[in-house]
Amino acid sequence: MNKVGIVGYYQVPPALDHNMGRYELIFQAVRGALDNVGLKHKDVTSVVSATNDYYDGRTISNCFTVEAGGGYMKDETKVEMDGAFAVHYGMLRALTGHHKLVLVWGGSMSSCYPYSSSTLLSTDPTFERPLELINDMTAGAFQMRAYMNHFNVSAEDIAQVAVKNRRNATSNELALPESQLPAATTEMILKADVLSSPVTELMYSHPCDGAACIILAPEQQALKIRDDPVWITGVGYSQEAYYLGDRDLTQSQSMKNAAQMAYKMAGVKDPKKETDVAEVFEHFAHEEMIFSEALGFCKPGEGASLSTEIGGELPINPSGGAMSGNTPCATGMIRLIEAAKQIHGDASEHQVKDVHRVVASGQIGLCAQNNILFVLERGGRK
Amino acid sequence: MTRKRIEITTGFVQADYNFWVGKYMDKFYDGLESKQVLGNRCPTCNRVFVPPRKVCGNCFKTIDLSNNWVKLKDTGTLRNFTTTRIAVSEAGKKKTSEAIPIGMVQFDGSDTSVVYPLLDVQEKDLTIGLKVQVVWNDELKGHPRDIKGFRMLKGGER
Repeated sequence: MNKVGIVGYYQVPPALDHNMGRYELIFQAVRGALDNVGLKHKDVTSVVSATNDYYDGRTISNCFTVEAGGGYMKDETKVEMDGAFAVHYGMLRALTGHHKLVLVWGGSMSSCYPYSSSTLLSTDPTFERPLELINDMTAGAFQMRAYMNHFNVSAEDIAQVAVKNRRNATSNELALPESQLPAATTEMILKADVLSSPVTELMYSHPCDGAACIILAPEQQALKIRDDPVWITGVGYSQEAYYLGDRDLTQSQSMKNAAQMAYKMAGVKDPKKETDVAEVFEHFAHEEMIFSEALGFCKPGEGASLSTEIGGELPINPSGGAMSGNTPCATGMIRLIEAAKQIHGDASEHQVKDVHRVVASGQIGLCAQNNILFVLERGGRK
Repeated sequence: MTRKRIEITTGFVQADYNFWVGKYMDKFYDGLESKQVLGNRCPTCNRVFVPPRKVCGNCFKTIDLSNNWVKLKDTGTLRNFTTTRIAVSEAGKKKTSEAIPIGMVQFDGSDTSVVYPLLDVQEKDLTIGLKVQVVWNDELKGHPRDIKGFRMLKGGER
């Protein structure tokens, strides 16, 4: 099969309340990605965006982003999910053999809408929604307790993930300033305000404003643009049951399925040995542990035993992960950008040494109902 | 650069919308009106669902409307719980003065859980596996709120 390469990317620095409109955020992301690799808008043949009608307060949200997002009079469509799913859509377009340059972007402004209400609105409209009990925070709390209770994992172990990610965020120049805690301790994480017990505010990836863009090209074209494209060698995705009460929240079966597909496609046999870095979209600290287990880096329930800091046996979220800025519709895409940066050696202060293969994930839905995993590898002319 | 905000606080994305609950949930809500919790059983995998479903996702088979109904007792097991002071509604979120525990409860005889308030109990007294019982609302309307919540059953009490 032909390969698809990531040839360019750009992330608008996240903010809790950007002094910019949506058009400006989107344009900055798209223009920035093109300029970074010296491409012109006329070179783009296809555009895929990730936005959300509810988040944008407008039905068919891509109707108003067409100009700023570069889709004007082009092959253009939208995914109403996390940006990582849009990257997959763009990848398929590049693989048709009819598109030489595919621009994928995603973003939103959480400062403009009540994010948690949007998660309540995803529940069963007649049975669950009238009770107003299920939302991202309470669902995440159920997930954390299920995981802790089943595997006898302590809250301290989970807080340690938040400590790592918030420290890592301090060395990421594109991290949300409010997310950075250079002197974070487990005590600080555990004693923070409770969102929904046992989840505290500092274990939560706070929604913010931002946008990001990735440019994809099929193999031949990618090598014409740059000597070192990052190749997408594997991708997989899976979705779990709708009702929270139907699901096993102690693990992530959808991430397991996604990983199995992506690893098979990329020829990865031993993910722990063959992966240099993982960038995962963790909505909560505990999700990073659940994912690392689903990704086969350790046995179920043993996520805490893995050394995941920069310089550890398998660095996870050296950027600070979603905790360093959760921009709905762009968060997973930013994980892919971070993965590409690690492979290119462009991650500055949070660079991991000698990175050849990175896995990066996106998610959507309560308790990560739907997960997508990419395997990205160092490219170059052979 | 000036930093003015224009905030539109009402009416902007407000619209009436009707959901047709479907024949399965219609029966379920009718059940609640007479204090009867109904689930339905997938004839292929035997899982009992609450609320009832038309399709079992795992087997991808229709669960026939005319049978497969399971009348459940009003007791169950606490499978999960949390407490929050942040009340989230469709319009936004706000702090509440009281921390109300909510739980995931698996009705006896069913294989799934539902989320409801846990009544007259503090979080420190909760553990996964406790036996619980439905507390019905005084007024029954065929609405999910007909179940006010669940109360903890003391040792041996059924």
